[in-house]
Amino acid sequence: MTEEILAHKNLVVRHSMLELIEHWAIAISGLILILTGIFELPVAKRYYIITLPGLGWSADFITSLYLHYAAAFVFSAVGIFHLAYHGLRGEKGLLPQKGDAAASITVIKSFIGLGKEPPMHKYLPEQRLAYAGMAFIILMLILSGLVKTYKNIYAPDMSHTVLLWATWIHNIGFVLFFLAFLAHMAAIALRPNWPMVRGIFTGKVRLDYARHRHSLWLKEIEQEQNIPAAVSDETTPPAKMDPTEATQPTPQPGTQHAVEEKMEDIRSGAEDEGKPPQTEA
Amino acid sequence: MSKKINFNLTRRSFLKLSGGAAALAGLSLPKGADAATDRQLATLIDLSLCDGCKDLQAPACVTACKTINKDKIPEVVDNIPEPWPRKTIEDWSKKKGVFNRLTPYNFIYIHKAQIEGKTIFVPRRCMHCDNPACATICPFSANHKEKNGAVVIEQNQCFGGAKCKDVCPWEIPQRQSGVGIYLHVLPGFMGNGVMYKCDLCDERLKQGKMPGCIEACPRKAMLIGPRRDIEKMADERARAMNGFIYGKTENGGTSTFYVSPVSFEQINKTMQKKPGQPDMKPDVKRRMAATDPLGKSVLAAPALGVIAAGVLNWFAGRKDQVKKEEKGND
Repeated sequence: MTEEILAHKNLVVRHSMLELIEHWAIAISGLILILTGIFELPVAKRYYIITLPGLGWSADFITSLYLHYAAAFVFSAVGIFHLAYHGLRGEKGLLPQKGDAAASITVIKSFIGLGKEPPMHKYLPEQRLAYAGMAFIILMLILSGLVKTYKNIYAPDMSHTVLLWATWIHNIGFVLFFLAFLAHMAAIALRPNWPMVRGIFTGKVRLDYARHRHSLWLKEIEQEQNIPAAVSDETTPPAKMDPTEATQPTPQPGTQHAVEEKMEDIRSGAEDEGKPPQTEA
Repeated sequence: MSKKINFNLTRRSFLKLSGGAAALAGLSLPKGADAATDRQLATLIDLSLCDGCKDLQAPACVTACKTINKDKIPEVVDNIPEPWPRKTIEDWSKKKGVFNRLTPYNFIYIHKAQIEGKTIFVPRRCMHCDNPACATICPFSANHKEKNGAVVIEQNQCFGGAKCKDVCPWEIPQRQSGVGIYLHVLPGFMGNGVMYKCDLCDERLKQGKMPGCIEACPRKAMLIGPRRDIEKMADERARAMNGFIYGKTENGGTSTFYVSPVSFEQINKTMQKKPGQPDMKPDVKRRMAATDPLGKSVLAAPALGVIAAGVLNWFAGRKDQVKKEEKGND
């Protein structure tokens, strides 16, 4: 279990080290792919990019291809690893759920002061939708890129029809990936999302933030960790919650000591409870 | 005698090819024609035979090529859009008659090499490489290689970025601004015309005809046929004249075999690389070959990802199991 409440530090572990590595490997290799993909277009000379310090190589398509391949190796390996590993582990938290589209609109409206955010799980509904979109784009890019790479090495006389499909899927995928990256950055720029930024660097987010915004997620962690309901009372159960869900499980005798320690941790962090959630500027 | 034998052999090979096309055409013309050109072809240029058609105003191969392709390039727009920010415009539409270099309107020219008091005439055009970087690296796949070995630029898909020219060791493709699809997209900011070069008369090959230059050559200095036959013939001719071959290994191998009694180092020394006038450096390397090992690792990457996922999942499962057992023991 990666997710854990560290109340004495007012933190919740949101991402494991493995997830952080996956995210940053995809992010960094993806950015290199965007840049070298642009340099695979004949733009560096035309737009005088070659005159910029450190970018003298940008008009050399073979050098760009080296970098593109190197980044594509990481991107493809980690992208496929991500799907396979989390699929095998049965981790579905980022997959879209029924009602995500409507819930996303509610959340987005709340950003501009129209209504209140509903209680949320670990991931926001629009995050789940964005994840599915991004995963689709990345898969398109990987598959079409593999066809193009195969053609470069083994089959320069590949069927022109297949090649055109792969090329245009790759080119359109590139545009969509770039737009998705911009949308991702725009989402981070929104003030209510700022506390999540530290999560993707350190793996942890503030407990008071999580308690306020991801109450359903905290409840799940508390249930997993057998923490009595009293310590997580601030989280308002959703209006139509099954009454059995609100019932906290009784701590097992064997784990009593650990639970007491945990409760102490959480109590010490409870001083934050009366304060409004803070954001990191 | 040897000329005749060699020509007859090639002629036979070619007839075999076109005969096959005709036979298949009876069943289904387009499919049959394609099938006929699916075989990998190659051309041979024998420099001991080419005399540059000294008595003609222009070499026969050049004239034939120009005639066949005279209507290939559509009408160039009156006001060619000025590209931004680099304002390079390449307009050959007023100089269509130029034939002493490669232009968008001239896909073959003859270089005259003066070596030890003799003149060697060297027809120059696209080499139709085995693994052509100009085609594989084209961002829109407008430039592609056919099964028969012809490297073809689809002019209605080309934006004229000239990337193909940059990666070609001989800088063969030539740009005509003011034509092509870029005019309908963002002419000021993206694209700059269409790239043109020899396509080995791919359309004519599909019709069972010979490339214009080969058909027109009065001395049969240029031949076409199945790759294996032509390669064998090039070897034999080079051996017979104690000569040299160019195009067999250059840029990773090509479908064009020059045979010469004079070394290509000497010929190359008479060539000064200029726009539209390529040199003939022996053993020129295929630069993209160096990226192949990394490309192969990219092809293996998804499998590595799946294997890593399986291994880590096994470890994670074991860890969960141990935890469960420990909990049970408590």
